[in-house]
Amino acid sequence: MKVLPSDKIREALNILSGEAEVYVPQMRDDVSGYFIWADNPQVELALDILNTYMSPKNVVLPQTENMYSFSAVGQDANVVEVANPQGQRVIFGIKGCDLKALEALDLAFLTKGYEDEFYKARRQNLAIIARACYTPGPACFCESMGVDRLNPEADVVIHDLGNQSFAWEPKTPKGEELTSKLQGVLVEQDVKLPQAAELKRKIDITGLSEKLAGMFEHPVWDELSSRCMNCGTCTYVCPSCYCFDIQVNTRGEAGNRFRCWDSCMYREYTLMAGGHNPREYKKERFRNRFLHKLQFFNERYGVNLCIGCGRCVILCPNGVNILEVIDKLKEVQVDA
Amino acid sequence: MHDHGECNCKDHGQTNPLVPTMVKVLKIVEETPDVKTFYVAGENGIPFKVMPGQLAMVSQLPIGEGMFSVSWQADDHLQFAIKRVGLLTEALHDIEVGQTLGVRGPYGNGFPVEACKGKDMLFIGGGIGLAPLRSFIKYCFKYRQDYGKIKIIYGARSYDDLCFKQELFEEWPQVPDCEVFVTIDNPEEKWNGHVGFVPAYLEEINPSPQGTIAVTCGPPIMIKFVLQSLEKMGYSDEQVITTLEMRMKCGIGKCGRCNIGSEFICLDGPVFDLTQLKKLPPEW
Repeated sequence: MKVLPSDKIREALNILSGEAEVYVPQMRDDVSGYFIWADNPQVELALDILNTYMSPKNVVLPQTENMYSFSAVGQDANVVEVANPQGQRVIFGIKGCDLKALEALDLAFLTKGYEDEFYKARRQNLAIIARACYTPGPACFCESMGVDRLNPEADVVIHDLGNQSFAWEPKTPKGEELTSKLQGVLVEQDVKLPQAAELKRKIDITGLSEKLAGMFEHPVWDELSSRCMNCGTCTYVCPSCYCFDIQVNTRGEAGNRFRCWDSCMYREYTLMAGGHNPREYKKERFRNRFLHKLQFFNERYGVNLCIGCGRCVILCPNGVNILEVIDKLKEVQVDA
Repeated sequence: MHDHGECNCKDHGQTNPLVPTMVKVLKIVEETPDVKTFYVAGENGIPFKVMPGQLAMVSQLPIGEGMFSVSWQADDHLQFAIKRVGLLTEALHDIEVGQTLGVRGPYGNGFPVEACKGKDMLFIGGGIGLAPLRSFIKYCFKYRQDYGKIKIIYGARSYDDLCFKQELFEEWPQVPDCEVFVTIDNPEEKWNGHVGFVPAYLEEINPSPQGTIAVTCGPPIMIKFVLQSLEKMGYSDEQVITTLEMRMKCGIGKCGRCNIGSEFICLDGPVFDLTQLKKLPPEW
């Protein structure tokens, strides 16, 4: 089997960077996430981190993204240039859970009536080098959400061999292409794939979406939401939360319109000019988020919008735990 | 998408649904102290075809953009009746004829104009809620022979707050088989018409549900009471249509915020009949 030796990873990323923007897991200012690779000896790859703090959704949906620039002089106004983020991109080291989230984003941005042109431009030439996950963490429950963590559907799957060397397994024509570009660094070697550790957290969500359809007004939402502070952390670190805002940046007679991540946890998210707000209180916002994850997205697109990465479980400052939320939702009685 | 090297990007409204097309303001009508109707058109007339009840995003480029119902889709221009309530609408109320605005759309499903053919039409509006209804009312007038008797019940807080006064008091009552009923919330010296809330006035007029479709729009609280009144008067859920408002940013079902349950108001709405509405969570 082909192997990417640990001392060749930088070289491999440099080769791929010659023709594409390559996103790799890195630590920047104490926050791990997926950043564009530049061979800087100061910046190490963060290959030992199980799940990066920030998910890789920024590859296709940057936290802030210019949409178009405009001029506005007197009574005249015009769009000057529409952003075109098309280009070759590679993501290196994405886990099966985050990849499953990317598939959900594809459904949201590329199906049901409209294609989002900005998303499509970033997504269509994206090559995926996914990393099989042999050592899940204490908050991981991806398998319960239908993730194949050892065989993610990617162009290339890499497998940890210890010492930060990776077995290299191309799975698509695009993956073969990447392989041929790296023929100078990949070596042929007999490999023994590691033993996969079991997931500690399991949860059965069979029938949950259907049950939730009858639970909108259930009193359990008061109890469940009581600890939530509406800080929005869960939505920013979530790989499948994709809501965005559109805002404007104007300087004198020119400006640009951009979009940026938004959060359903905030009152302003649904606040209308004039003051009416259909989700005025935190219970309503909390309920909408969990129902979007476990019911609404499922009804619309046929899959759940939670992929079990566990980021929100670890990072919620007040201990809201989606596994406990699901357990409670399953447990309570629904009046017929 | 075409190459951006040389283009002036004027026609991107057609290729990227999030990018506006430019239109000029041809005329501004002051409807009430805080509502103005803007007549807009592009160089080649209407920027896109719109059906009654559909929405469009209007932008004053340096300030922001907001979703509005198109209150009339004329052959050569579009009309937006816009109430001054926030940052953007404040800015829109400050502009003058000749201003260039951005528009993108149309968004949403619109009213079921085909399915309503041959029916008597009952329109029930409150405040600025008459704006979306007007697109359907005027459509019924344009294709008058396709629709039966028309009743319009409309109310506002005060006489000054009544929108489209000239049409309401002069034009529409002249249309064959069309009755217009107007009410205001509190008595006023200059008003000798009906006083009271819309749902109560509706029950007082008590239009028969026989062969009728009721279409209502107004503040959420008015809609909720009107729906109750209609039910009490014997209207079935299929006979009652409303159009909803939610905060919107993208208009194409991506940005997330305008959902009610799994439906997006910008895409699956804003028009729902009561059968559909009752299947959704009561979150509007």
